[in-house]
Amino acid sequence: MQAYIQGRNVNLTFRPPNREPVRALSGFDIDIREGEFLSIVGPSGCGKSTFLNVLLGLIKPDSGELTIHGKPIRGPGTDRAMVFQEFGLLPWRTVQSNVELGLELKGMASAARREISQRLIDMVGLAGFEQHYPHELSGGMKQRVGLARALATDPDVLLMDEPFAALDAQTRDLMQIELLRIWNAARKTVLFVTHQIDEAIYLSDRVMVMTKRPGHAKKIFPIDLPRPRAYEMRVTPAFNELKLEIWQTLKDEITA
Amino acid sequence: MAQVDTIARAPDLESAADATNREGFLARNRNVLLGLFAVGLFFAAWEAIFLVVPFNHLFISKPSLIALGWLDLLVSGDLARDLAVSAVPFAYGFVAAVVVGVTVGILMGWRVRVGYALDPLMIMFYASPLVALAPLVVVFFGVGVTGKAIIIFLLSVFPFVFNAAAGVRAVDRLLINVVRSLGGSEKDLYLKVIVPSVLPYIVAGARIAIGRALIGVLVAEFFAASEGIGYAIARFGDLFALDKMFACIITIMAIAVVLTEGMRWAERAAFPWRIGQ
Amino acid sequence: MTDTPAIRSHLPTAPKQAEAVARIGLWKRVEPAAYGGGSIVLLLALWELMPHLVTISAGTKLFFTTPSQIVRALWTMFSTGSVWNPLGVSALGFGIGLVLAIVIGLPLGVLLGRSRSLNAMFDPFITAFNATPRLVFLPLLLLWFGLGMTSKVLIVFVGALFPILINTYEGVRNADKLLINVVRSFGAKEWDIARLVVVPNSMPYIVAGLRLAIGRAVLGVVVAEFFGSEDGLGVIMVRAASSYQVDVVFAGLIIFAALSLAMTGLVKTVENRLTRWRPQLSSE
Repeated sequence: MQAYIQGRNVNLTFRPPNREPVRALSGFDIDIREGEFLSIVGPSGCGKSTFLNVLLGLIKPDSGELTIHGKPIRGPGTDRAMVFQEFGLLPWRTVQSNVELGLELKGMASAARREISQRLIDMVGLAGFEQHYPHELSGGMKQRVGLARALATDPDVLLMDEPFAALDAQTRDLMQIELLRIWNAARKTVLFVTHQIDEAIYLSDRVMVMTKRPGHAKKIFPIDLPRPRAYEMRVTPAFNELKLEIWQTLKDEITA
Repeated sequence: MAQVDTIARAPDLESAADATNREGFLARNRNVLLGLFAVGLFFAAWEAIFLVVPFNHLFISKPSLIALGWLDLLVSGDLARDLAVSAVPFAYGFVAAVVVGVTVGILMGWRVRVGYALDPLMIMFYASPLVALAPLVVVFFGVGVTGKAIIIFLLSVFPFVFNAAAGVRAVDRLLINVVRSLGGSEKDLYLKVIVPSVLPYIVAGARIAIGRALIGVLVAEFFAASEGIGYAIARFGDLFALDKMFACIITIMAIAVVLTEGMRWAERAAFPWRIGQ
Repeated sequence: MTDTPAIRSHLPTAPKQAEAVARIGLWKRVEPAAYGGGSIVLLLALWELMPHLVTISAGTKLFFTTPSQIVRALWTMFSTGSVWNPLGVSALGFGIGLVLAIVIGLPLGVLLGRSRSLNAMFDPFITAFNATPRLVFLPLLLLWFGLGMTSKVLIVFVGALFPILINTYEGVRNADKLLINVVRSFGAKEWDIARLVVVPNSMPYIVAGLRLAIGRAVLGVVVAEFFGSEDGLGVIMVRAASSYQVDVVFAGLIIFAALSLAMTGLVKTVENRLTRWRPQLSSE
């Protein structure tokens, strides 16, 4: 039986001009279940962000199979949306206009767009900031806009590329709680890339550890903590054991 | 993050899948070769079009004739003579512009109050088309070297003023404090911090000023001159010697490009730490 | 041009001297205007009084004028309405040439910015034409199109085209790759990318190019009218110069300068309206 998102033997090599070719992904396999929250941790440069971009449809792999719900991926589509690490908000548009970006590109009429974007802006806790410009917002607020924008087109799959890496530690913790709250309301399939093991365990159903470049899956850890997750779980023995295990697996990839 | 950086600089959809490994001479010098190709194509087309379109030598010329005309001017020494005649006032005016412009500019940047006093004046002068005064200058000073040099000076002095002032104002105060704290004197400050900081700005100003100075030469010579390269263009036009007219125009273009691009190259070579303009 | 003042001593910051600081603060804000305005007034006064202070030879006197005479000339030109016709002709040439430069330069700039190959092919021509004073083509244009509006418009066009073209394609090439990827991920096609990211991102560059273009366009009008026109403000200035009406020459210069400043000011206002989204102010 095919997994919801399935990757078999994905290979990708970057060939920048005047430089050595870079093998980003090598024989990469992955199975993602519908509605699950899967985190990918791995050393820098292992290809995890690259894989997200391949899944998003922005980059074509050199070889290998990649399907969603049985259909091969041929470029960006409304069934997938990404939240970017550096937010990627259009600085010349207001919050509302940014959130409506995907809907605008789908050709939706302005009244219909407004309804959806308003609902989402309220949901991410930015009510009242609709007419603000990105430079007037804090990092956490900008990422909420990014999240709202990604959810606006109602994608089946949410791709998150180290979305909280640019935020300070406290905002980061807050955003994790927020994310779970929002995700609980509408169980999308989420693929979450991060460097932080805590974050991965706290948020996910499963955590995948990748090898260093060229990357492929090294080991997958199921996270059996009950949902809804409470912040207090982060200080339980079960949590810390998982953290240690994952760290041991990851460590070799960083030092080796 | 290094990984995200790679994404941002990742090749587009097409080239990532395009696994060509042509990293040879063709790929590396692609842009230059394309440029040369385009120029060659242009001249070839210019020459060839007259196989189809009737050629009226009183109206236009073609590359082959232009080249011959240019060689003629070169061999007869006319080209060199005209260029020399134009070059003398150019040199005088430009050098004067450098000396006066840089001095005033540095003063304006260094002494804040002088800056306050002169800024509006300079802006007004820079915004006015001083070229408009050219006829007046020529009528007053005549069409000799003096008149031309004055016009050239007027047109090319302001880029130096502004750029020198900007250069001084942009000097990093931190660096000054560093040198002072290490016991440097005023002279050390000038030589080790201020001059290296300001020099790139001045050279950039020179690049802009060259263009304006060339305009000065042409305006003076078009208006009322009896010699020089600008006059030559006008004269050949009157005589309907289109081939020689084009030859002179292209010569000036070449000189302008060499001077301007030369300055750009000098800027990059001498001041590699300057990323912007 | 930055506004950072050169090295100066620190202001007192102790709370007791707050009031003194406030007074100093007011003067510091007014100081630039005071010096600037003051020096202009001083200069004008000196200029006006010069004939009374210094003896000028008869020959030079022909070429001498004073601010009051210039103002009188301006007054005459405007009150008799004699200025409007030539100004209109000049403005028309300026306007058409500039609009043409925008209409061609902007899309071409976007095209060249997006296509590296096209850019490489056009580059030699752009470099050559940009470095060359457009004036050099005037005799040729006069030969082809005679005196009149066409030559004028063409000189203005060629002058204004390159700043717009070059700045546009610089702006396009510097478009934020991240934002392009973001927009593509939401399904944007090439045209959407241009509309959503490239053009707004390039606005500051384009505006800078526009300001340069205006300066060059005014230059173009003046120069075209000196040599290749029967009509226009520049023509009036040339005639005035030949007949020693120096005050009229300066009057014309002032009118051109005012036109240039007005247009640049207009561009700045539009720019400010369009870039409310930008976080900081850079003084340029």
